[in-house]
Amino acid sequence: MNESQPIISIRGVYKFFGRLAALENIDLDVYPQERIVVIGPSGSGKSTLLRAVNQLESIDRGTLQVNGSDVSHPKADLNKIRMGLGMVFQNFNLFPHKTVLENLTLAPIKLKKIPREQAEEQAYPLLDKVGIRDKADKYPSKLSGGEKQRVAIARALAMNPQIMLFDEPTSALDPEMIGEVLDVMKDLALEGMTMLVVSHEMGFAREVADRVVFMDEGRIVERGTPEHFFQNPQHPRTQKFLSQIL
Amino acid sequence: MWKKTLFAFLLVLVCASVAWGQKTIVFAVDATWPPMEYVNQDKDIVGYSIDYMTAAGKLAGFEPVFKNTPWDGIFAGLQGGNYDAICSSVSITEKRKEAMDFSEPYYEVRQALIVPRDSDAETIQDLKGKKVGAQIGTTGYFAIKEVEGVEPESYDEIGLAMRDLKNGNLAGVVCDDPVAANYAKQKEGFQKNLQIVSILDTGQTEHYGIAVQKGNEDLLQLINEGISKVKEKGLEEKFKKKWIK
Amino acid sequence: MSHAEQRAQQSNPRDTEEETGQSKRIEVTDSAAIPDKSDKGLFTAWRVSCFGAIGLIILLCSVKPDPYLDILLFVPDGVLVTFEVTMLSIVLSLIVGLITGLGRLSGNAFINLTASTYVEVVRGIPLLVQLFYIYYAIGTFTQIPPFTAAIIALTVCYGAYMGEIFRAGIDSIDPGQTEAARSLGFSRWQTMYHVIIPQAMRTILPPVGNEFIALLKDTSLVSIIAVSDLLRRGREFATSTFDYFETFTLVALIYLLITLFLSKIVNIMENRVTPYE
Repeated sequence: MNESQPIISIRGVYKFFGRLAALENIDLDVYPQERIVVIGPSGSGKSTLLRAVNQLESIDRGTLQVNGSDVSHPKADLNKIRMGLGMVFQNFNLFPHKTVLENLTLAPIKLKKIPREQAEEQAYPLLDKVGIRDKADKYPSKLSGGEKQRVAIARALAMNPQIMLFDEPTSALDPEMIGEVLDVMKDLALEGMTMLVVSHEMGFAREVADRVVFMDEGRIVERGTPEHFFQNPQHPRTQKFLSQIL
Repeated sequence: MWKKTLFAFLLVLVCASVAWGQKTIVFAVDATWPPMEYVNQDKDIVGYSIDYMTAAGKLAGFEPVFKNTPWDGIFAGLQGGNYDAICSSVSITEKRKEAMDFSEPYYEVRQALIVPRDSDAETIQDLKGKKVGAQIGTTGYFAIKEVEGVEPESYDEIGLAMRDLKNGNLAGVVCDDPVAANYAKQKEGFQKNLQIVSILDTGQTEHYGIAVQKGNEDLLQLINEGISKVKEKGLEEKFKKKWIK
Repeated sequence: MSHAEQRAQQSNPRDTEEETGQSKRIEVTDSAAIPDKSDKGLFTAWRVSCFGAIGLIILLCSVKPDPYLDILLFVPDGVLVTFEVTMLSIVLSLIVGLITGLGRLSGNAFINLTASTYVEVVRGIPLLVQLFYIYYAIGTFTQIPPFTAAIIALTVCYGAYMGEIFRAGIDSIDPGQTEAARSLGFSRWQTMYHVIIPQAMRTILPPVGNEFIALLKDTSLVSIIAVSDLLRRGREFATSTFDYFETFTLVALIYLLITLFLSKIVNIMENRVTPYE
């Protein structure tokens, strides 16, 4: 950790769906340039946690700060905060009525008021980075799943976020397309991007993560370095989970 | 077997009663034309024309049946044979005579211009550039169209035109004088606001007649007989007193 | 089919919408035969009706100019009024419909209830009664010119129907689209404007096109409130000449032509927005 101030600071956060606690007393800090991978069985609350960070899910108790400002505060300027949080979804959620290039430039043009030419100038290097510059003028319907997800990553990057949130980015992909998306994510990690990733890709977690967080039934059960986590898990539920998937 | 016998018996009875009883004549009426013909609060069709034709029927030996029919389809219905005759304040005009036959006249009318009480207009000429309403297909409407510079507006019913006059959407309404008088002098909610200012000079006086299909001589004869008997007996004065004040 | 497409087809069934570029269609059974590109039969029917109507009008007017040509010369201002009423009502009802549709989707309980009640009330009252009500009943308190009253009545009525279509159209867009836009920093309204409505338009256009044509036909009702539209002009002609058959034959043919013309425009608009490729 080369800086002491966390970008994201989660303290005692609860979230209820009816009586069910989807998040229960969550504490987590994400520091600049840190890569955190959250794993856990489905329904463990890991996606809810990620979505709470940019307030796609509200929280019922606790504090959730991004760069020191409380996102759950009613007066928080959520739109501004969200501009600094890039989000990548399981189902890509590309804008089907826009070309690949327009998917990247829409938000910078409309939200940051950048002129179109400049926005496009900035978009092409991002398309190069995710390797689909040649599809710039295509509509999302013409892309494969892997290509879509790479465009989605580029779209989030186009807003120059401080941190990237990945919500099971490879779960909707065919096995042969998972690699290309993970490669892009690894490149990002190498460049020093701060990342909070919810994923089932254990290989990715082992290779890229600074810390791995294991969640079950709305709680953080165990956290630690990948070495600690995969070689020497302490909690019986972590052990059980790992034995099931590895 | 029983049923068949009964049915045959009833059939004979019905036919006999039609043959021996009075001839029934179905009259189409657009009952939106007070006081000549309109629907009263008991939902009966009443008015001057109705009394007139009922009396004519009694004297000439026919039974009138009145069938409420919208005005702008009333002539088409006669042509199509939906009823025998029209008893609906139909003014006898040359144009109409080409399409149907008329009985003897039974009422003389003129076209009256009715305006709001606060209007300065005295004749229809004063309403140039303004909207003047009448019921669609009436001689009143044709009279407005004759006046240059006045915008004619046609309505399905005279009551709707009167309402629009009262609401301020029209500068005047033209209709038969008994109807105009009814609205301007008697009708609740209208008499305070409306007044008759002039009688239009349409070149000739108009007369109401009963319209029948072209060439229906027998029917015309029967109706004419009734009309002349009503006149002979002096009943017209009685009806005028009752309906037209 | 490209290799990419083949691969795409095997992937997650949840995003079929993106894969095929085809979105859900709202089923509306209202009216109108808008020709579809794939529907050759209907397209032929459109041509037959259109050219048949034009041919018949020309034939009737040249063979029997009295009264057909007289009628044709009598009604044009009525056609213009019918057209004006239709166009103004369509534009206004689209605006009212959009506001209503958004209101029906609003999280604000008051706005939502207001919009829903409006739709319920309007859908429960026949257009003819609404026309009478706005012109003659409300006209008792305040003066409304007949043309304005006609447009208000049609806008109020069709605004409610359009509102339901907008609501359904916006509802049909994957919530993921909203999430994606919001997570980029778009506000609720910016999301609606830049992301949701442009996509919903495609789903909305066919039923809205149907409403256009239904509205055009319903404008004939305004003739009861002394708006001199095509039907009223026809009735005026018929009641003074007794040429009922000839008049209404021609009036029907003219309505048919206008309807066909409008459905063609709708069809062209639809084709223009269809594919995202």
